Amino acid sequence: MAIVAPPSKYGKVGRPVLAWAVGLLFFFPIFWMILTSFKTDADAVKPEFLFVFKPTLENYLNMTENYDYWRFAKNSVITAVAATLFTLFIGIPCAYAMAFNPSRATKDVLMWMLSTKMLPAAAVLYPMTFLTKSLGLFDTHFLVILVLSLINLPIVVWMLFTYFKEIPKDIIEAGQMDGVNTWGEFKEILVPLAWGGIVSTALLCFIFCWNEAYWTVRLTTTDAATLSKLIEGNRAPEGLFFGRLSAVSAAAVGPIIILGWFCQKQLVQGLTFGAVK
Amino acid sequence: MSTRTLPRLLQSPAVLLLLVWMLVPLGMTLYFSFIRYVLNSLRRPEWTKPSLSNWRGFGNYEFVMNSKDFWFAIQNSLFIVCSILFATVILGILIAILINKAFPGQGIVRVLLISPFFVMPAVNAVLWINMILDPVLGLNGLAVAGINDLIANLQNAPLVGGFFSLWPEFEPISFRATQTSAYAVIMMVTWQWTPFAVLIFMTSLQSEDQQQKEAAVLDGAGVWSQFRFLTLPHLGRPIAIVVMIQAIFHLSLYAEIEIVSRGNGNKNLPYLIGEFANNNIGAASATGIFAVILANIVAIFLLRMVGKTLME
Repeated sequence: MAIVAPPSKYGKVGRPVLAWAVGLLFFFPIFWMILTSFKTDADAVKPEFLFVFKPTLENYLNMTENYDYWRFAKNSVITAVAATLFTLFIGIPCAYAMAFNPSRATKDVLMWMLSTKMLPAAAVLYPMTFLTKSLGLFDTHFLVILVLSLINLPIVVWMLFTYFKEIPKDIIEAGQMDGVNTWGEFKEILVPLAWGGIVSTALLCFIFCWNEAYWTVRLTTTDAATLSKLIEGNRAPEGLFFGRLSAVSAAAVGPIIILGWFCQKQLVQGLTFGAVK
Repeated sequence: MSTRTLPRLLQSPAVLLLLVWMLVPLGMTLYFSFIRYVLNSLRRPEWTKPSLSNWRGFGNYEFVMNSKDFWFAIQNSLFIVCSILFATVILGILIAILINKAFPGQGIVRVLLISPFFVMPAVNAVLWINMILDPVLGLNGLAVAGINDLIANLQNAPLVGGFFSLWPEFEPISFRATQTSAYAVIMMVTWQWTPFAVLIFMTSLQSEDQQQKEAAVLDGAGVWSQFRFLTLPHLGRPIAIVVMIQAIFHLSLYAEIEIVSRGNGNKNLPYLIGEFANNNIGAASATGIFAVILANIVAIFLLRMVGKTLME
């Protein structure tokens, strides 16, 4: 429309340039980490090799030797995948019932679930240590999976609930008229219709599990230790190992950043509980 | 089966699990906060087992409130959280408005911008405190050394040399002291969470009423008054949400503090609880209850706000 004021010369060129500058600035630390990961430990701290250097893959090739990377990565994958599946397994029926058979209590239950998410983890640090140690669960995959599931369950139920709510009730009712039972209704109608929502919920849950850094650090030592624990344990290399530390960090966050690119939109819904549209 | 039974059955695993997860550990924290309970004590071995006979009433709470660390940790927690909130909201609004209109490469800029949010907190802290902020070997140190070299060279230059010889030699800031490591934490968390604010504000800006804006332009409203009277009120609710969600997350900030500040005094509440929990469980538990109260004050507002939109 002609009504809108024509953009000034500054706006035409300045805005994209500024926008690109901001984008690059925010990405710079990640870029720097990736760049450093291709330098040898000695080169990484020399000013003359800041941007021009002889790239090497040795940091990546020696990740097992230097940090036992794959053992931690394996634990991260196992716990994050299992926790995501378990959370969906419990969360989908719950959200399904809430969306299609809401009772007067549904709203309160949802709010209460959300409130459990707001409990500061540190407040129950010692009881959790005490309980898990006395039950023999400390530093086991089972424990990490359970804890990750529990801290993500509220968000997963919320996200699924907001997706399921969008599905017209008529479709479900038509299915019921045709004599489809609950399981059939679920499998034939709900899952195909809400597939996109379920997948993005799963992705987001997986990312949160992967990045979790309180319980995975405090409730593991070696057997079930994840990548968060690995990085936390190598926090201060005093400049000696910038190259290898960058490589192991890049390997720990790279896949997740790429996954994250695919669920930007769902992130808003997942983290604001549908309150921002 | 009645129509009510099946839905209840489907909900019960999730509800029961969360109920146990919430009540059992919190109940234990509450209990431990009222008894004398330490992990190691040669003089009073009876205190090393949790028992009602070690009842201390509000003694742990008193002990915690009389400790300097506690008040410092509260103050420091609030300082860190408020600084992060302030920075992310301002930057978030500016950047969201900047990249909201289409321009070449908008999609790529969005991807670049959102990436920090997916970096795991441990990597975030290790990356910033070492590779970027280290006063000697990080970019911080290298940049300051570079500036000093440049000045030293310029001092020998003709004409301007005299001017530059008046300049002092710059010292890189060390981000490992108590106060500066709090700044380092603020910096790295702001870097990580500004993208979140941008994403939410952008989502909200897309639903802004364009006709109203055009009408305002017709009426001769300038850019500033458009922003002040249309955009800002429209963003009111998203801002409140961003503030509250971040407040809840950052009140329990842990990995960054642990990695950046171990042993240098830059404590927040979760870190202090971890310290107490090395021996004095009673004090750790009482501090935990204080942390719960603090988080609840924020949570109540957030829940009210979310609750309103829930059934729309």
